Amino acid sequence: MYKSLAFIALFFIVMGFRNQKKRDYNPMFFNMTNELKDIAKDEPVFKFEVKSLDTAYSAQINHDVRLLSNSNGEPRVFFSDIETSVCADGECKLANIKVYWNLLGNYVGYGIHPELPLTKYEHDTFEREDYAKLHQLLLDENSILKRRKITDLIDKIPVSPSNIDSKDLDGISGATKKEIKESVVKGGLYSCYTLWHIVHGEAKEKIKTYLQSINTPALNTYFLYAPYRDYQIYALKQLNKAEFKEHSKQIASIFQSTDALTRTYVLKKIPEDVLSEQRTTSQFYDVFPHIDINSRTLLIKKLKDANSTAVEIVSKHVGYMTKNQLSMYLKYLEETYESLNGGVKYNLIKASNSKRYAYSYLIKEYLKNR
Amino acid sequence: MNKVNLILLIGLYLICANSKAQNLLIEAESFINKGGWVVDPQFVEQMGSPYLMAHGMGIPVTNASTRIAFNEKGMYHVWARTKNWVPGNWDAPGQFKIIVNGKALKKTLGVTTGWSWEYAGKVKIKSNDVDIQLSDLTGFNGRCDALYFSTSKKIPSDAETNLDAWRKAKLGETIAPKEQKAYDLVITGGGLAGCAAAIAAAEQGLKVALIHDRPVLGGNASEEIRVHTLGIYGKYERILKMIDTKHYPNGSFEARYDQEKRDRNVKSFKNIDLFLDWRAYDAVAHNNTIKHVDARHTATGERIRFTAPRFVDSTGDGWIGFWAGAEFSYGRESASTYGEAWDEWGELWSPEEADNFVMGSSVLWQNEKTNEVHAFPQLPWASSIAKDHKAIAGEWYWEFSRNDLHQIHDAEEIRDHMLRAIFGSFSNAKKLEENKNYKLQWVSYLVGKRESRRLIGDYIYTFNDVKTHTKFKDAVVEEVREVDVHYQRNLKDSKEPDFLSEAIFYETEKYYIPYRSLYSKNIDNLFMAGRNFSCSHIGLGGPRVMLTTGQMGAAVGLAAAICNKHNATPREVYTMHLEEYLDLIEKQQ
Ligand SMILES: Cc1cc2nc3c(=O)[nH]c(=O)nc-3n(C[C@H](O)[C@H](O)[C@H](O)COP(=O)(O)OP(=O)(O)OC[C@H]3O[C@@H](n4cnc5c(N)ncnc54)[C@H](O)[C@@H]3O)c2cc1C
Repeated sequence: MYKSLAFIALFFIVMGFRNQKKRDYNPMFFNMTNELKDIAKDEPVFKFEVKSLDTAYSAQINHDVRLLSNSNGEPRVFFSDIETSVCADGECKLANIKVYWNLLGNYVGYGIHPELPLTKYEHDTFEREDYAKLHQLLLDENSILKRRKITDLIDKIPVSPSNIDSKDLDGISGATKKEIKESVVKGGLYSCYTLWHIVHGEAKEKIKTYLQSINTPALNTYFLYAPYRDYQIYALKQLNKAEFKEHSKQIASIFQSTDALTRTYVLKKIPEDVLSEQRTTSQFYDVFPHIDINSRTLLIKKLKDANSTAVEIVSKHVGYMTKNQLSMYLKYLEETYESLNGGVKYNLIKASNSKRYAYSYLIKEYLKNR
Repeated sequence: MNKVNLILLIGLYLICANSKAQNLLIEAESFINKGGWVVDPQFVEQMGSPYLMAHGMGIPVTNASTRIAFNEKGMYHVWARTKNWVPGNWDAPGQFKIIVNGKALKKTLGVTTGWSWEYAGKVKIKSNDVDIQLSDLTGFNGRCDALYFSTSKKIPSDAETNLDAWRKAKLGETIAPKEQKAYDLVITGGGLAGCAAAIAAAEQGLKVALIHDRPVLGGNASEEIRVHTLGIYGKYERILKMIDTKHYPNGSFEARYDQEKRDRNVKSFKNIDLFLDWRAYDAVAHNNTIKHVDARHTATGERIRFTAPRFVDSTGDGWIGFWAGAEFSYGRESASTYGEAWDEWGELWSPEEADNFVMGSSVLWQNEKTNEVHAFPQLPWASSIAKDHKAIAGEWYWEFSRNDLHQIHDAEEIRDHMLRAIFGSFSNAKKLEENKNYKLQWVSYLVGKRESRRLIGDYIYTFNDVKTHTKFKDAVVEEVREVDVHYQRNLKDSKEPDFLSEAIFYETEKYYIPYRSLYSKNIDNLFMAGRNFSCSHIGLGGPRVMLTTGQMGAAVGLAAAICNKHNATPREVYTMHLEEYLDLIEKQQ
C-alpha cells in the first residue's frame, strides 16, 4: 500500500516536471485580465533567495521564478510557488503562497494551496477578508512596511485611536503606527511583513533585469496596447518620435483614460507634429473638463504646439480653469491673437457673465482692456 | 491751448479736488488692539502689505480695535480692502463688519472675489477721536488688509493695480528707511538655520542682526508650525541643542516647551540683536555685493536699513538672494541634468523633462478630546475640497502642490486650500458618533514650506553626492537621514484627495554637504543656509530637515567669523582659509 502511494507520488512529481503547462493557474486574486487564459509554456528562468526573518533559525531557501508564456510563445507573467517560514518569538510556521508578477516585476496577484491556508499569530487561519487585505497590502509597493524592521513593529501595535495621546516611541509616530495597523491583517503582522518583503524583494529586481533580455519592439507594443497603467507608461517611455506618431491614436486613448502622472508624461513628450494634427488636438483638448488640473495646465501650455483649433476648444471650457490657468490662457490669447476669433470671443463673453465661475471678473477685465 | 497745458490743468484740478476731500488710509495690521485677529505677513510680496485675519477655527474672534485722530469731522464713506477667500455658490466663509464709534456700518464685508475695496457704508464723524473696530462674524478666516475713510464717495481707484505706490504716497513713505543699523553679519530668517547661524557667529564675537518676521523663532520648528527637528547634529551638537525640539509627533502642543528654550537661548546672546516681527522686503547689491537689507515691522510699518559686510539668507525662500540678483533655481530638473534618475520611481522621482512640480507646503493641525459634545458646522465651501475625506488631525502628508501654483507667489492660495481641506475633513469626521467629543484645538495659519527657491552656489548638491557619499574636502555638514521626496497622491490615483502626499524614501549611509553649497555663486557677500541652499530638487530631499539645515546655519556662522577676521569673501574661506575654518568647526564639539 505504502509502496503504491509512493509510486503515485513519484508519478505526479515526474509528470509535474515533464508537463509544466498542465499546472493549474488559479490565483485567488489576480489584477490582470486575460494573461492566464492561454498559458502554454512554463519555464524556470532564475532563482531567488528567501531568507527567514528569524535570527535563531535563519534558513535560506532558493525558489524558482517561472516565466509563463502563451501559445504564441509571448511572455505573459512571472510566477513563483514559495514556501517560507514565518517566525514570531522564536516559533516558526510555514507559509505557502503562489505569487504572480507582471512582466515589469510588479505584483499582480497570488494564490494559495487550499490545503495550506495562511495563518495568523494565534495559529488561526486567514479568513476571506484577510486574504483580500493581504492582496491590497502586496499591491502597495510603497507600503509602510518597506522601511521598517520587524523588530520596530513589535509591541507597538495596536495603538490608541486618538493620536494626541500617543506619546512617540522610537521614531514611530502615532500616525505611522496607525497606518501600519490599518494596512496589515489583524494578528497577521508577521505573515504580512514576511510576504511583503518577499514579493517586493530580490525576485522583483531580478524580473526587471530579466525583462531586458527578452524585451522586443513587439513586446513594447503589447505593453502600449494593454489596459495596464504601469505597462502603458513603460511603453511610452520607450517610444521615439516616429513611434509616437505611429501610435498616436492609442496614445490619445491612453491620455483620455489614464492617471495624472501618465497624462503629464504624454503631454511633455508628445512631438509637435503629432499634437498639431487636427484630429489629435481634438482628442486631447476635447477632454479638458474631464481630466485632472495638472494636465489642464499643460494643455494650456501646449497651445502653441497644438492645432489652431485648440484655442477655441479651450475657450469653451474656461469655466474649469483655475485662476492661474485662466491668466495663462488669456496671456496666450493676448500674445497670439490680434483680434479674437468670433467663437473664442463669444465663449469668453459667456464665461465672463457666468455666475458660477469664480474668476469671471478677470475675463470681464480682460475683455474691457482689449 | 496745447496738449501739455491741458494735461497740466487736469492734473492740478485733481490735486485740488483731492485736497478738498478728506481721506485716510489705515493699515489693518497697525490696529492697536488686535483682539482675536492675527497679523498675517506671509504674502506681503504679493499683497503689498500684511493683513489681519480672523482665524477662529469656526468661532468668531474678538474684535480688533484702534483709535484714530481725524482732522476733520463730517460724513465719511468707508471701504475695506478685503476679499471673499472662497468664492463660489455658498455664503462667503470669512465675513466681518466695521464698527465706528460703537455703530456697525451697513455692509457685511469679505464677500467679493479677489482683493478689492469693498464699500462698508457711511458714517458721521462727530469728534476727532474715533474708535474703529473689526467685528468678525464667522470665525472662518475673514481678512482685512486696510481701511479707507473718505469724505468723497469715489471708490479708491487705481489702488488695485498700483497699490504699492499708492500706499507709499498715502502713508508718506520715502524710498529709503530713515533708520540705519550696521552689523558684522545680518541674517534674515529665524528658522533653525538662521538661529544656528546667529549663535555660531555671535559666539565668535560677531555683532549680529537676526531679522525674523514672526514673534517667535524656529520657522517650521516653532510652536506656530510645530514640525519636530530630524537629522543629526554633526559637529554642532552644543549649538543645535539650544534650538532643536524633542521628537514629538508633528503638530503636537509640546512644541511650546522647545519654543521657550529656543527663544531664551538665542536672546541670551548680548551680541545678537533680535528683530522679531520684522520682515525684510528688499536687498540691494552693487557690483555683486549686497549693500543693505531693508526691513519693515509687520504691525507698525516702521522701517530699518541694515548694512553689513556680509549677509545670510536663511529665509527658506531665498528672498535676500532673489532681491539682490543671486542666481537661483526653482522646480525639478530633468533626470539627465545631474543624472538623478531612479527607475523604480520614474517620473515621480525625477522627470525626463524639467518642470515646476516641487514638494508642497503644509498646514498642520490638531484636535482636543473633551468630555462634552462639540458641534462643528457643515461647510460647503470646505467640502468642495475635502470631498468625503474624514480626519481629526493632520500630519506631514497634509501637503499641497500643483503645477499651476508657485510655492511662493501662490502661497496664500495654497494655505487657503489647506484650510478648506482641514475644516472640510474635520467636519466630515465630526459626523461620526465616535468623534462627537472632539474639537479643533489648533490649526496653524502659517503655511509650512518644504521647497521653493534654491540659491545657486559654487557647488550644486545633488542626489549623486548622497549615493556616492562624496567626501568633499570642504565637507561641513553631515547627515545620515534617508532622502525623501514627496509627490501628490492624486497623481497616481484621481480618487485620492488633492491635499495628501506620499513620500519616496531612499535609505543611505552618511553623506556630506560641502561648504561651497552655502554661499552664492554670483553675489560675493551672500551666504545661504537652510532649505534655500545650493542643491537640486532631489538634492534637497535629504538635507531639508532641520538639524541638517541647522548644521548649515552653524557652518555659515563660523565661516562669517573667518571672513571677518581676514576681511575675506565667503568664497575665499574656501580658497584661502579652509584649514583654519575646518579647525574652527572641529573645536565646536
Ligand atoms: C509639514 C512639514 C513636515 C516636515 N517634517 C519635518 C520633520 O519631521 N523634521 C524636520 O526636521 N523637517 C521637516 N520638514 C522640513 C523642514 O521643516 C523645512 O525644510 C524647514 O523649512 C527648514 O528650515 P529653514 O530654517 O531652512 O527654514 P524655515 O523653517 O522655513 O525658516 C525660515 C524663516 O524665515 C522667515 N522669513 C522668510 N522670509 C523672511 C523675510 N523676508 N524676512 C524675515 N523673515 C523671513 C520665515 O518666517 C521662516 O520662519 C517638514 C516640513 C513641513 C512643511
